Amino acid sequence: MTEPAFLKVERMSVGYGSTTVLDNLDLDIHKGEFVALLGSSGCGKTTLLRTIAGFSKPFNGSIQVANRDVTQMPPDKRGMALVFQSYALWPHMTVAQNIGYGLKLQRRSKDVIEARVNEMQNLLGLGGLGARKPAQLSGGQRQRVALGRALAIDPEILLLDEPLSNLDARIRLTVRHEIRSLQKRLGITAIHVTHDREEAMVMADRIVIMNAGRIEQQGTPEEVYNKPASPFVAAFMGAENLLSMQARVNGEQIELAEGAFNPQTITARSGRALASGPVQLRFRAEAARLAGSRDTVSAEPGALELRGQVASVSYPGGHWRHAVRLGNDEILVDADTAFAEGETVKVHIPAQSLFIFNAPQLAAGAPAH
Amino acid sequence: MQKRLLAILLVIPALVMIVLFFIVPLGASIVGAFVVGDSYGLGNFSKSFELYSSDMIFTVLIVSLSTLLIGLFSIAIGGYLTLGENPRAVAVLRWLYRWPMFIPFIVVGQVLRTFLAKNGLMNNILVSLGVLTPLQTIGFLDWRGIVIAFVWKQTPFVTLLVAGAMASLDRSTIEAARNLGASRLRILIEIVLPQITGTLLVGLILSFVTMMSVLSVPLMINAQSPTMLTADIAFRINAHGDYGVANALGMISLLLTAGVALIYLRQSVKERS
Repeated sequence: MTEPAFLKVERMSVGYGSTTVLDNLDLDIHKGEFVALLGSSGCGKTTLLRTIAGFSKPFNGSIQVANRDVTQMPPDKRGMALVFQSYALWPHMTVAQNIGYGLKLQRRSKDVIEARVNEMQNLLGLGGLGARKPAQLSGGQRQRVALGRALAIDPEILLLDEPLSNLDARIRLTVRHEIRSLQKRLGITAIHVTHDREEAMVMADRIVIMNAGRIEQQGTPEEVYNKPASPFVAAFMGAENLLSMQARVNGEQIELAEGAFNPQTITARSGRALASGPVQLRFRAEAARLAGSRDTVSAEPGALELRGQVASVSYPGGHWRHAVRLGNDEILVDADTAFAEGETVKVHIPAQSLFIFNAPQLAAGAPAH
Repeated sequence: MQKRLLAILLVIPALVMIVLFFIVPLGASIVGAFVVGDSYGLGNFSKSFELYSSDMIFTVLIVSLSTLLIGLFSIAIGGYLTLGENPRAVAVLRWLYRWPMFIPFIVVGQVLRTFLAKNGLMNNILVSLGVLTPLQTIGFLDWRGIVIAFVWKQTPFVTLLVAGAMASLDRSTIEAARNLGASRLRILIEIVLPQITGTLLVGLILSFVTMMSVLSVPLMINAQSPTMLTADIAFRINAHGDYGVANALGMISLLLTAGVALIYLRQSVKERS
């Protein structure tokens, strides 16, 4: 990470009219990196991509590519190609004309265009489809034509705006890997906008999680999955179970106070920035273990143990999902075997799967976004 | 059975209206075109071609030229409304371009008559600005005046259709071309226009048919010969009470417009296949 960033977004603010969508945003992307911009709809991820592409003008801040300021440049001078969510293929042109249009605009010779179009068609498995119109293609094929059209002009940066969201679930899984291996093979820098967590995890070198126009956290898929920096990231990455407790930070230890459903627990602080007071605990359904109330589980150090009643059981596939009632709260816990409804159970959450954050009312003193 | 009877009952009023007010008069006029004296024959048609063949050519040329110009202007205006990058200019144009639609043809004819005459408002302005001397002025009250009136009146209508079709295009098809470096003119011609040709064609054909039937503009602007068929029809009836030739002329303009409609039908069949 010592080499200078290839694409550099600095203190950039973007909006439409009087509403600001992105405020003072910084982002560095290295050459050859595959970065996923992940967030729910309305978080500003598409706006960020469109501003990088040059379709929205920032209020202030700058965008640089290889130390060249491109903030005021038109979209085609930035060395970037955008793949649109709707593919945006031109319905009146054939596949070959769609792919070759960028080269035609660059006034390349007919032979060069034809050779490049053929190369793209072969690369993307579109051989023999050159004379078809987009309406005669399947969704997956259209998606590849859109990709071919973007790659034909040999861009330095490939921008992907939810390119998989219009595909069938099954095709999507294979196209994920196709795009990723293509990106690796070409060594191209790619920015991929998605709201699908798994898609981002599978495809990206680095995930940038966005919320309300800010970057909440960025890191490798393992980092954002295992060390979420905020309650939002934890919830977005699947830690939907939420409990409120009192905590006391004592040096390198966190003491979780005894509650109606849990004994006092001492767990390692392991680098968390946490203050004493009310806290939120988050964990994933699959990270917790379930045991009968009389079973003795070898208690690992720092693990949290909860005692509750099974409210309902369902089978989503692979394991049983239990809704466990703790007073007014209900949590979801997966187990390999089903427990009966109404049975009292122990829920065991290992220390590394426990995400602890200060409750929001304490964090109010911290600067809001 | 009851249901079918009810259905027929519901359709009958509309059917009677169509038969009574559309098919019967049209049929009578077509039959009337072949009535010569007490028998049937082609006399009205031979007389029509003898007297008015130059007017037929004049009409077709004027309406075709107007249609072409209307097409060009509506593409230009619609294109600017869709691709223009100055939001204020786009808003002003959007507000302005529709107005001629709400002005009747007769008023257009009258306005342009006072504007385009040899000593009309346009030449007066040009003379007072020193662009022309009074001796250099020419009137436009001939075929040019009719074309100007038609284009002025019909462009907004076609633009309305064209701009609507352009606005409902997937914007990202335009952005994709921008992204690859296409200029706005190229986007208009190579990306936007091919996607809206159907709408443009419908607008132009409707305009063609409308212009074929306008009487007030040729009467107001160009009352001399050659003039348009509509003026001839009115003249045959009002001055001579000659319904036979008027009916024949009417049928000839009906065939001319039917030819254009045929082009449209063939185009739409080709598009669907």
